[in-house]
Parts: sequence; C-alpha cells; structure tokens
Amino acid sequence: MTNKQDFQLGRPTWCRGCGLYGILEALKRAAAALALDPENLVMVTGIGCHGRMNSYFRAYAFHGLHGRVLPVASGIKLVNPRLTVMGVSGDGDAYSIGMGHFVHTVRKNIGLTLVVVDNRIYGLTQGQASPTSGLGFQSISTPFGSKEYALDGLKLALAAGASFISRGFSGEVGHLAGLLQKAIGHRGFSLVEVLSPCVTHNPVNTYDWFRSRLLKAEDEPGYDPGDKAKAWVLLHGEGLPMGLVYQQEKPAYEDMVLEGFELPLAQADLRPDTARLEKVMEKFR
Amino acid sequence: MIPDISVLIAGEAGDGILFTGNVLAKVLKRHGWEALTCRDFPSNIRGEASSYIVRASHRPLLARPDRVDVILAFDCQRCRQFIRHIKPGGIVLCDGEEEAPCGQHPPTKFSFYRFHMRRAARENFGNELVKNMIVLGGLGYLFGLDRAVLDQVITEIFQRRKGRAAVDTNLQAIALGTKIAQGLVPQEKRLAIEHRPKDGRLVLSGDEAIAFGALAAGCRFFAAYPICPASEIWQWLVRQFPEFRGLVVQTADELAALNMALGAAYAGARAMTSTSGPGGSLMMEAFSLAGMAEIPVVIAHVQRVGPGTGIPTKTEQSDVTQWVFGGHGEFPRIILAPGTLQECFDFTVAAFNLAERYQCPVVVLTEEDMGQNLRTTPEFGLKRVAIDRGRLLSEQELAGLPEYKRYAFTPDGISPRSLPSQKGGLHMVEGNEHDESGFREETADNRVRMMQKRMRKLDSAGPELPASVIWGEPGAKLGLITAGSALGAVLEARDELLAKGLEARVLQVRTLWPFPTREVQEFLGGLEQAFVVENNFSGQLQTLILSRVSSSLPLKGVRDYSSQPFAPADVVRAVLGGRS
Repeated sequence: MTNKQDFQLGRPTWCRGCGLYGILEALKRAAAALALDPENLVMVTGIGCHGRMNSYFRAYAFHGLHGRVLPVASGIKLVNPRLTVMGVSGDGDAYSIGMGHFVHTVRKNIGLTLVVVDNRIYGLTQGQASPTSGLGFQSISTPFGSKEYALDGLKLALAAGASFISRGFSGEVGHLAGLLQKAIGHRGFSLVEVLSPCVTHNPVNTYDWFRSRLLKAEDEPGYDPGDKAKAWVLLHGEGLPMGLVYQQEKPAYEDMVLEGFELPLAQADLRPDTARLEKVMEKFR
Repeated sequence: MIPDISVLIAGEAGDGILFTGNVLAKVLKRHGWEALTCRDFPSNIRGEASSYIVRASHRPLLARPDRVDVILAFDCQRCRQFIRHIKPGGIVLCDGEEEAPCGQHPPTKFSFYRFHMRRAARENFGNELVKNMIVLGGLGYLFGLDRAVLDQVITEIFQRRKGRAAVDTNLQAIALGTKIAQGLVPQEKRLAIEHRPKDGRLVLSGDEAIAFGALAAGCRFFAAYPICPASEIWQWLVRQFPEFRGLVVQTADELAALNMALGAAYAGARAMTSTSGPGGSLMMEAFSLAGMAEIPVVIAHVQRVGPGTGIPTKTEQSDVTQWVFGGHGEFPRIILAPGTLQECFDFTVAAFNLAERYQCPVVVLTEEDMGQNLRTTPEFGLKRVAIDRGRLLSEQELAGLPEYKRYAFTPDGISPRSLPSQKGGLHMVEGNEHDESGFREETADNRVRMMQKRMRKLDSAGPELPASVIWGEPGAKLGLITAGSALGAVLEARDELLAKGLEARVLQVRTLWPFPTREVQEFLGGLEQAFVVENNFSGQLQTLILSRVSSSLPLKGVRDYSSQPFAPADVVRAVLGGRS
C-alpha cells in the first residue's frame, strides 16, 4: 500500500491559484489509490508550467524537450512495460509542437497515460495564444484578437482511434483523481485532458468560466462511454463535456509487438549469443 | 598485373539490375574474389536511367572503376548513355532492337553484340521476368564462372521464396543465357577468371554491417523513420529481432525516432536510430537533449546528397560538420567514420560501449556509397564482441549510498546511472540545466560546474576511440588525408601514383570527433604536400583539420560533389594536377 505522502516532493512555486495545484493533488491521490510504487512509475513532462510537475511528484522523472513527451514516454514503456508511464503535457506541448506525436501515439495505442494540462494559453512564455484559445482571444501574440479556430483534443483523439478519452477540471480534484485512476488502469493509450485556469495570463478562461460551461458525461441520461456515436454527439453538443467520454477495449501496441517476450527489453541479457550470431552471419557468405 | 574485372549493367529503374548485380557480386565472392558494387540509381521506382557496376579483383580494397570491361544494357538509349565507360577492347551487350550498334566511341575499340534477353525470355519461358537469369547466364559465360556456384546462389534465393519450380525455371534460363552468349562472343574474347579456393569471407552492404554490429552489441530497441539510404539498417534488423527478442518501431518522423530511442535508452535498453540528410536535421534537437541529459544513444547517419531533399539515392560526405558542430548548445558527442565493412561492424559495436561509458550520443557516420553498395570483407570477429555498459549501479550499490545523485560531480565527469524500477535510484533526467540531483538549477556557478563536468567526460576517451590509420610509404613527402568510404579510392590512387613513381602516404581519420588533433598534426609533420580527399563542395574534413590542427603546410582539397563516389583515377588526376 502507498499513500499520498509517498509521492510528496518539494514545494511547488506555481502562481497562487494555478490549476496545476489541483492536478498535482489529484495525481497523488490517484497514485495512492492504485497503490503505485514511485520506483515503478515514470513521469515524463514537456516544457511549460506543467513541466515542473515532476519536480513536485516523487517518481522516476524525465523532463525533456518541448512537445516530445510522447515519443520519450513510448520508448520507456516499450522497453519496460512493467512500468507505469505517465506523460504530462500542456495544450501547446501536446496540441501544437507535439501534435504529430499525439495523433500517432493515440493511433498506435501505446499503454501510457497522457495528462494534457489545458489552460488555453502559453503561460511560461508570458501569455501567447495557444491552439485551444478561442476565436477572438486577445493575448500578447494576438493583440487584435485571434483569427484561428480552437482545436478540440478530444474530438481529434476520438477520430484518431483513441481507446480512452476523458476530460477533467482542476477545480474538481476528487473527480479528476477518479478519472486518473481509471486512465492509469486502462490497457492502451489513455487521454486525460484537464481544463486548468491560468490565473496570471488568461483572464478569460477562469474557474467560473469553465464551471458555467462544464457538463459531466455521466450525468447525461443513458450515456454509454462504450458508444462511439454517443461520444461524437456529446463532443459536438453545447457546453464543455467532461468525465469519461469514451473507452474501448483493444490490444495495446506493446501487447502485440512484445508478445511472448519473457523479459522487458530493458532487462535483456546482452551477452552476445555467438552461436546464433554465427548463423546470422552465414547469410552473408 | 592484378586481375580486375568489371561490368556495368544499364537499364531503367525497375529492370531488376540491382538483383542481377547483387547475385553476380555474391557469385564472384564465392569464386574467392573481392567484389564491390556501385549503384547509380534515380530516386524513383520506375522509368529513369539506372546503372549498377560490379567489380571484382584479388585485391581487398576497391573503389568504383573509371572504365569497365563489359557493359550490359537493357535498351539502346541506356546503352548509348553509358557506352563511354567501356574500356578499350571491352564487350558491349545490348538488348535493344536497333540495327546499328549503339555507339562507336572513335578512340575506343570494343566489341558490340545484340543480346536479346527479353525476346529469349518471352519465346522460351513466356515470361519476361526471367530475363535477368538470361543476363546472369550470359555474364557467367563471359567471365568463365563456375555454373555450379551460380546455380547454387540462385537456388538458395528462390528455393525459400518461391519453391522448386521457380528454381528450375531460373536455372533453365541461366543455361539459355549461357548458350546465347556462347553463340555471340568467341571463347578467346572472354575475360574468364580463375576459381580461387573457397574462404570464409562475406559479401554485404555497409547498412547491413552496421545492423549486424548493432545486433551483436545487444541493441534491442530501434526507432526510425523511412529514408534513403538508411532504411536498410532497420529493415534488416526487423527480420532478425524476433529471434533475438528486439523491437523496431517505425515512428511518425525523425523527431519521434530519436526521442523514442532516448526514452528506451534512459529506461535501460541499448537503443539506436538511423537516418540520413533531412532526417539528421530533424534529429538535431534531440541530439542536443541527449548531450544535456547524458543519455547513451547510437545514431547511424548514412549521408546522401544535400541540401534540401538533394539526391536521396546518391552519395556525399556533406553532413560531417552538421554532426560534429550541430545541435543547439555545446555538449560532448562522439562521431565515428568507418571506411570499411569491418569498421562498420566494429565501430557500431564500439558506439554502444562508448555511448554507455561516456553517457553521450555516438554517431556512426557513413555514406550512401558505403551504406548501400556491396563489398566483400573477412568475416566479423564475433568472439571479440564485448559489452561494456559503463557505470550502471546495482540496487545493492544504490542502497549503500547516503543519497543518489544522477548528475553527481565526479573527477572524470561521468556520474553513475540508475534505471527506472531500481530501488533507491529515483532521479530526474533533466533537459534544463540542473544540479547534481537533476533538479533545474540556473545559477551561474552551477552552470559553469555542470558544463565542465559534461565537457570533461571525453577528456579520457582518447585511447578508446578508433585511432587514425596511416597507409603507405613511411618516407613519402606527399600525403593524402581522407575519411569514410572515400578511403577505397584513395588507397587505389596511392597505388597508381606509386606506379607512376610518386610515393604517397594516406591518413584515414576514423574518429571525426573528438578530433584526433595529435595524429593529424604528426602526419602532416613529415610532409611537403598534403591533399584532403572528400565527397563534398566546401571541404568539411579540411575545415575540421584547419580548426583543430596548427600546421604551416597548406592543404589542398580534392573534392567531388557530383553525387558519385570517387574513382581512383579522379584522385590521381587531381593530385597530379594539384602538384606544382
């Protein structure tokens, strides 16, 4: 058994009121509820305010490049599927510079959980518009209002064949912890997008703004997260749907490509099998 | 006179000339000869001119020949295009339907024959595809090849893939090709070779040698994106991996390829990627991360013609400075440049050991010429392969530490690693500047100490890196410096120069970075004149030398950026012309 304190590390320095505090708390609760072991948990983060997450969450940690969370996390998972691998990314990280990786990791259904911290702005670089900023959004990069349509990562994930799609809210830590638990327990790729206000740079998408628009999938009468058509309709309706939007059982990439492997690749015996290599060399004679 | 034969097979992409040449190279190897091929293919699948040269000799290192003994053309247009490469007294066989010979180069006398392999294939087998077997039969006759050897190679290829019936059809087509050639070319005009005793040598491409090196070195994770001329590396590995329990992942781009390899290496696997040209540019970002985060990773980069998309299927040595100086910021890296197949294998094995020992990215840098063409080599010394994983801590060792610090300051700059899942080894791998524990730390004092820690890691690496090799006359006052696949042409050029009474020494630079300053300095010390021979426009190897070696000797560049590998005659001409 583990408890929340096992994942405690350092003291966060995010702005007071930042949505990331709620996400950090939810991550610890979910990890404790699943009795995860910090030493068998790897958190990979991108660049942005969310990238500090692994300075405050005790686990093996990899803080790499902007946008490259998913290929790094995939490499870790594929050579050691016994690890729980979690990516934490931002809306710019996952949906802009890392978009190619997002779609293809979803499509490959690699068994990791991606938390996309969506504050609808580039906070760390002082407040430029992001792919999830709304049409007309004013920022230092769009002083006359954005002329771009916002992107919806959940719709995209559904179209790309994701097997677990969910959305949480920084302001509802208990609900988010529940989603994270389900996501980590899911076989294959799981997306947890978290709407998370930036209290310093985004005066539009505030806690109240999100609260007034959110609707929970589980509260919709007759909603079935196994029904792709319903998920499509929900994502295209009024308001901001949250909760478990879609889940499907299908083999994860590692289940297929590593089938029959006794040991994780990371623990393979690397001593050269000379007899077997000699046989391979025969082909060149 | 050293026996030396060569044939140029000319046709369109799609004619099967690669297959034909590869079979011929293997058959020649099994006759005890040293074989080398040189492909000149367009970067499309069908329609444009392709040529494939197969050369064989008794001598171990070879380069593209300037002229060939035999041209075998699939049509008149291609025949005319390549006929200028025929040696005086050579033989030209062309399948075209035109009545007049395809060309008469006034100063060159050669014999010209119509060799109707397509028609023979259609009329006798109802299947034009066997034309390549008819070609092999014809060439077998011209070179006096042992039919049993040719038949054996064809049987090995088709028995497995297509079964006995296909083997029989192909062998009959070979017999027919032999008969047709017999009727055309008189016995005395042939270039019959002797059958030397069987030996243990191999025939393969540089891409395959690198892939085999990776397999032997314990590489079990390979992530890459398709690109000419590097894909053969992982396409060969993907077939071996089921038995060796490894995984190839085809990624969505080269950004993902190197980042995925970094993730795998961080988690404890021996991980690799391969690329070329623009793929290398995309990898620069993660290359830099590997330097900062101190992750051992191996990158095989097979250079093609740049810039931009360039000429994807042809050779150049123009990404040297990109890998030596590229990537944002400054970080330790090792760049190895194999000049032979043996070195492709050995350096790839070494690359994995060096990467783990020094916790930095290691690049095995070759060229299309080395990567895709076939060469013969003595068999690889599999028993010599040793695995050194560098400073990896066990859980017992971790338990004995008061506190584990991933980036601990150490005298040689190398900090012991722990791997995810190990008890007591929790740490953060950090691409931001960090403190000893891996946490972001941006003070100037820490920055200086961390930079020095990373940069001094390679201070002690010298003896472990492949040393430069000097070939030739110790007292010679003329020096040729080269690297990579240009070596073959330079060594042959040295022999040709000697035959003209000019002694030369050759320096093969095998480690491009850290640059072997002392070795080059010493080599230059005894010379009166030096040439740097390389396949690029601006003299990238020469730039490296000038930046790292102080010498009063002016260097002259011998450069070819035509997209073709050097022929020895090119080097000889340039050296003779450059001496004043």
